[in-house]
Parts: sequence; C-alpha cells; structure tokens
Amino acid sequence: MTPPHELRLSGALDLAPAPERTPVHIPPRLGHFIDGAFVDGSDTFDTINPATGDVLAKVCAAGAEEVDAAVRAADRAFREVWGPMDGAARGKVLYRIARRMQERSRELAVLESMDNGKPIRESRDVDVPLAANHFFYYAGWADKLSYAVPGRTVRPLGVAAQVIPWNFPLLMMAWKLAPALAMGNTVVIKPAETTPLTARLLCEVFQEVGLPPGVVNVVNGAGATGGHLVGHPIPRKVAFTGSTGVGKRILASTAGSGKKVTLELGGKGANIVFADAALDQAVEGTINGIFFNQGHVCCAGSRLLLEESVAADFLGRLQRRMSTLRVGDPLDKNTDVGAINSERQLKVIQHYVDVGRNEGATVWQGSATALPKRGLFHLPTLLLDVDSTCTVAREEIFGPVLSVLTFRTPDEAIKKANDTEYGLSCGVWTEKTSKLFEVSHALNCGVVWANGYNLFDPASPFGGVRHSGFGREGGLAGLAPYLEVT
Amino acid sequence: MTARLAVWRTPKLYIGGQFVRSESGQTVAVATAEGILHACRGSRKDLRDATEHARAAQPKWAARAALNRGQILYRLGEMLEGRGAGEAADRAVHHAGWADKVTALLSTLNPVSATYVNYTMIRPVGVIAAVVDPATGMLGMVEALAAATVMGNSVLLLVAAESVDDATTLAECIATSDWPAGVVQIVTGTLSELVGHVNGLDDIDTLLRVGTPLDAEVALAAEQAGARTIRRLVDLPNPSIPATPEQLGRLAEAKTVWMSAYEPQGGAASY
Repeated sequence: MTPPHELRLSGALDLAPAPERTPVHIPPRLGHFIDGAFVDGSDTFDTINPATGDVLAKVCAAGAEEVDAAVRAADRAFREVWGPMDGAARGKVLYRIARRMQERSRELAVLESMDNGKPIRESRDVDVPLAANHFFYYAGWADKLSYAVPGRTVRPLGVAAQVIPWNFPLLMMAWKLAPALAMGNTVVIKPAETTPLTARLLCEVFQEVGLPPGVVNVVNGAGATGGHLVGHPIPRKVAFTGSTGVGKRILASTAGSGKKVTLELGGKGANIVFADAALDQAVEGTINGIFFNQGHVCCAGSRLLLEESVAADFLGRLQRRMSTLRVGDPLDKNTDVGAINSERQLKVIQHYVDVGRNEGATVWQGSATALPKRGLFHLPTLLLDVDSTCTVAREEIFGPVLSVLTFRTPDEAIKKANDTEYGLSCGVWTEKTSKLFEVSHALNCGVVWANGYNLFDPASPFGGVRHSGFGREGGLAGLAPYLEVT
Repeated sequence: MTARLAVWRTPKLYIGGQFVRSESGQTVAVATAEGILHACRGSRKDLRDATEHARAAQPKWAARAALNRGQILYRLGEMLEGRGAGEAADRAVHHAGWADKVTALLSTLNPVSATYVNYTMIRPVGVIAAVVDPATGMLGMVEALAAATVMGNSVLLLVAAESVDDATTLAECIATSDWPAGVVQIVTGTLSELVGHVNGLDDIDTLLRVGTPLDAEVALAAEQAGARTIRRLVDLPNPSIPATPEQLGRLAEAKTVWMSAYEPQGGAASY
C-alpha cells in the first residue's frame, strides 16, 4: 500500500559529504604485542581499507615461536603478577582501561571504520562505547568473585587463548578480554587478519594504564597462527568467535586436552513480525536487524518471517525505508551501510544472492545512493518468495541480504523460526503481551529480542545453542567460562 | 518336596516406555552370583530409535510444571525404596526437590541500559546421552537420570552389560512411576560400542559422563566425534556426591530475553 503522495526518495537525498576527520596514527608495519612490548615479526600481509582498496598497513603473521613466546609471557604474568593480585587492584586497572577507551574513543572509532568498513555512526555510537562499558562492567566483578558461585570456591583458569572475528574487532576483543582479566586469567588473543588496527591501539592503552606486561598479548596472523595458539599446551581455556566450520575444527582439535572451550558461532536469526505489531517500529527493527554492520553480524535477523495478512503492507514500508539507506563512505557521518570487509566476503554474498535467484527467489535491492565506484560495497537486498527449504533460508550469508518468508499462525511462526541448525537469536514483534511472551519463550535460541533487534549490553548474557555454539559472554553467566569451580 | 524355583527376569532394553529386545538379536553374557545373564547388546538402530523417542518426548517433558517433574522424580524414589535401593532412592528424592528451585538459583535479572526487562533463564539442552561407569552402580545411573531429567532434558542411559540387573530394576521403577514414555531410555551393551554408535548420531545435544566410564582412547574419540555436531560434554566424575546447582546448570542453556517494557524502541537503542 503505497501512500498516494509518496515522496520519491531515491536520488532526492543528496547530502554534502560529512566526513569524520579525527586524525589517527597507523604504523606502517604491525608486529605483535608480547610481554608488554610491541615486537616486530615476519611473513607480512596487507590490511586494506575496504572502502578504498588502499593498503593501511603491513601486518606480520606470528609463527609457532612467536605464539609460544606470547603464551609463556602470559603464563608468567598469570603466576607471578595477575593471578596473585588483589581483586580490587585488578578491577582498578580494568576501570582505567574503560576510562582510557572512552577518552580515546574517537580514534578507536575512526580506526575501526577504516579497517573494517563499518559506518562511523556505528563504530562511534555502538562498538566503541559498548566495548568500554564491557570493561567497566567486568571491572566491578574483579573483587567479587567469591560471590559468583554461591557456596563454591572459584579460581581463575590460567592462560586463555582467544580468537576473534573481523565483524566487531574491538567489541569482540573487549567481550573476550574483560571477563577473562577480571577473574585473574591472562590472555593471548589473535585478532582477525583483516582487522588488526584497533587491537594495536588498545595495546597502547594497556601500556598507558599500567597493565602489567604479559597480562594481555596480541599475536597477528590468519588461521595458521590461530592453530598454533589454540593447539599450544599451556592455555587452559580456548574462546572462539567465528564461523561454525572453524568452531568444529577447534572443538575437534582440543579434544582430550582438558581445555575449557567456549564457541560463539554462526546464526540464521528469525525476525518474526505479527500483524498486530507496531509496524513502523518493526520496520526499523528489521532494518537494524539485517543492515546493521552490513549484515556482518552472527545474530543478524537474516530471516524475516511476516504474518501473511500484513506481508504486502509491511514489505511496502520496508522497501520505502530501504530506499532511504545511504550506502557509502564509512567515515561519512551520514552513511547507514558501509563497506563489505573483504573481497572474499563480497563474493560469498554475491554467490548467495545468485543461489537465491536460482532457487526461485525474487531479488529486490534499494538504497538512497548509487554504490561508490571504488571499494567493496553491496546494496541492501531483499530475497522475496523464499521458503524454509531454500539455501538462503538455511545458510548464513553474513551480508546485507534478507530472506523473506511468511506464516499464518503463531505456531507456524515458531516452527519456521526453530527450523534451523543454528540457535543464536530471534526477534519477535507484536503489541499483544501474551503472544510476545509465548513466542519469545518458545524460540530455541540463546537470545530473544521482544520488540527490538541487535541490542547488546555488558550485563546481558549473549551466546547460542546447537550449531551456534555454547558458553555465554556478558552478565553473570559470562563469568563461568573463565572460572574453575571447586 | 522340591525347592521352589525362582522366576528369572528377562533383561531387556527400555525404549520409548516399552521393554524391548535389541533389534540386533544379540546379547552380552554376564556372569553373576546367580548364574549367567544375557544382557541385550544395544545396536546402532536401537540407539537411533531411542534418540527419536527422546527427541519427541523432550519438549512435553520440559513443558510440564516443575512441581510435577519433581513429583515424578520423588515417585521414582518411592519405587527404588521398594526395591531395596535406599541410597539411589535418596538421590532421586534429593534431585526431585531441585525441580522447582534450581531455576531460581540459575536465572538472573539483568540491569541493561535500555527500556527492556532483560532476564536470563535456563532451558534444557535437549537430548542427553549419559554413559555410566559400572563402578558407580545403581547410584551412578540414578544420578545421571535425575540430573538430566530434573533440568527438563530427556536421556539415553548407556549402561554396561555387567550392570544389567540394576538397569532392569531401574527400568521397572521408571515404568511404574508415571514417567511419560520417551523421557528415559535405558540401553545395555558394551560401553565403548554404545558410545561409538552414539557418536554417529546427529541428534544428541550433550554427552554426559558419570564416573570414569570410558578408557582414554574411547573418551578421546568421543570428544573428537562430538565436534561434528557441536555436542556438549559434561562430566560428573564423582556421583557419590549429588550434582551441585552449578553442575546441573551445565545440563542447561542460558536463554536471555529482552522483553520490551515501554513503547517499542525500533532498532535504535540508547547505547
């Protein structure tokens, strides 16, 4: 139902560029951060700005020896400094980190948007503040561990080996580091090979605030480096966020090692919109669910389940809203959808759109702007007339592509939402309270947003079930992965 | 006058609420004080059937009132008492009491910076395959069964042939204490073989080890195989002590709900 006097939005919203100009320093060559010092390495590869294709820096890939040095530094720091340290003192160091991140937040945001491609609006308003808040939240746990598991004694595990993805480089680093450190563990972490820059700056913060050497060590590199780290005999904890395929390999490789493993893997989240939802708000939530961070979100609402009676109306509203999305320069403050992180990921997304079309879906794309001539971009995309058996309704696309399905009854919505190997997140939209609770509680996943989507908070546990992994990050439940309970 | 001859029990598997023989037609001979028993040798197909029953029964079991699940576990304690298994009866009664309390200990209300009521509750993991060390006896079996089911899961108890007498008694107690069919399956055989079969199944959510039931090689193979389906691994190494709430929590998943509390905020949260 298009209103009679619809504004023609496409092309009507030419805005002057509003670039974020905060200067940032990028060293020409990134090594590793081991035992409190930046060290050079070898085997360099490039990290590029996906919006321009320009090389941002050369990055060294850590081999087995460098990983070993980092793990040994962490082990020493655990035994001699960080483990024995008074909890309140550990907490104060973490509070300092949180504060310093807030002070240097704009630098962090600019680096994140340059390296990852996400809009500055998101890195500035979501990623960086949330990352700082995560440290602030877990800092407060550091002197309260004896209350974490009532009646039991808890201890830190030791060295944690952590491997994080490229979609939220700084935020995932905070999610991994803050609970581990608060509980007295030390860390060796490997950022994703395409997004090492904010980790580098965070290490400067660690030096500035006096985090003891060896408590956090950063090794750069790709899968091989991650393999060395996860397979090293000293770490007693392995935490991984990334694809289900790699998660399975890590789980198999750690078998028999006694290492405590947590995995936060892929998803195929259903966003369910009932006819009695507040439709315009649900449109906003749907947009946020799939186009936030170009859809590079493990919990993205990548399946839209529409109640049949409002499907046409809702799609009209959704398409109008998509026509206002500004795709382009991540550093422009008006940009809604930024650059795809890598050529490889762009090809994956394009492949899935082709698969969807070949399996009978209708492809609809919209935006307020033409795609930039340089760089890696993808239009916000709807795949219409999809059903549950289609590949694009079953496999994670990890891009700005939304598969649209319909349903008639709440039972059918629940069945379709749960008809997936994954189980990370879902959204439910209705103004009827009893239905909101019933459906929210019936969904087989780790996180449900009732009248919302893609909301995160350090106090709120996050993580999946089934092939989306296990373990929680955030809140009280986020302590367990980093504690030994006796 | 001839002395009375005992009426012997025929050991069977307990699957989907029925006492059945293994479809394999094979048995494992076990020497006991009374003579030789032939325990059913559970096959891959038996375990697949058992898993299907367990999967079908689990959502309804979890949806029952916690009080009701507690009463059924208590009833199991009554039946075990009648069979002279006092220690196991005590364990069933202990866990029966957790049914409507453990949620209160393991759930949280999370103060988020947004207009939502944010709570984390526990949900069952689903279907659990529990492999029980025969050295832990009836108590180990009841601990596995009670810990799994009190959290709302359904369970496949994998029991060594040498425990077949206790397993038969336990199955008879289950059959007479109001358990919905499919919540508990008991399959006997050789543990390494049964675990090997379970490793090939796609629909087992958690492998629970009670005591030290597997030798190192089989345990390693099971862990490696579990990666294929992201299967969880939980250990209760010492079932002489009841599982703590923290341990019971490992047989559950935390589920977090952001429940809208005011006008819908759309996607734009107050970060």
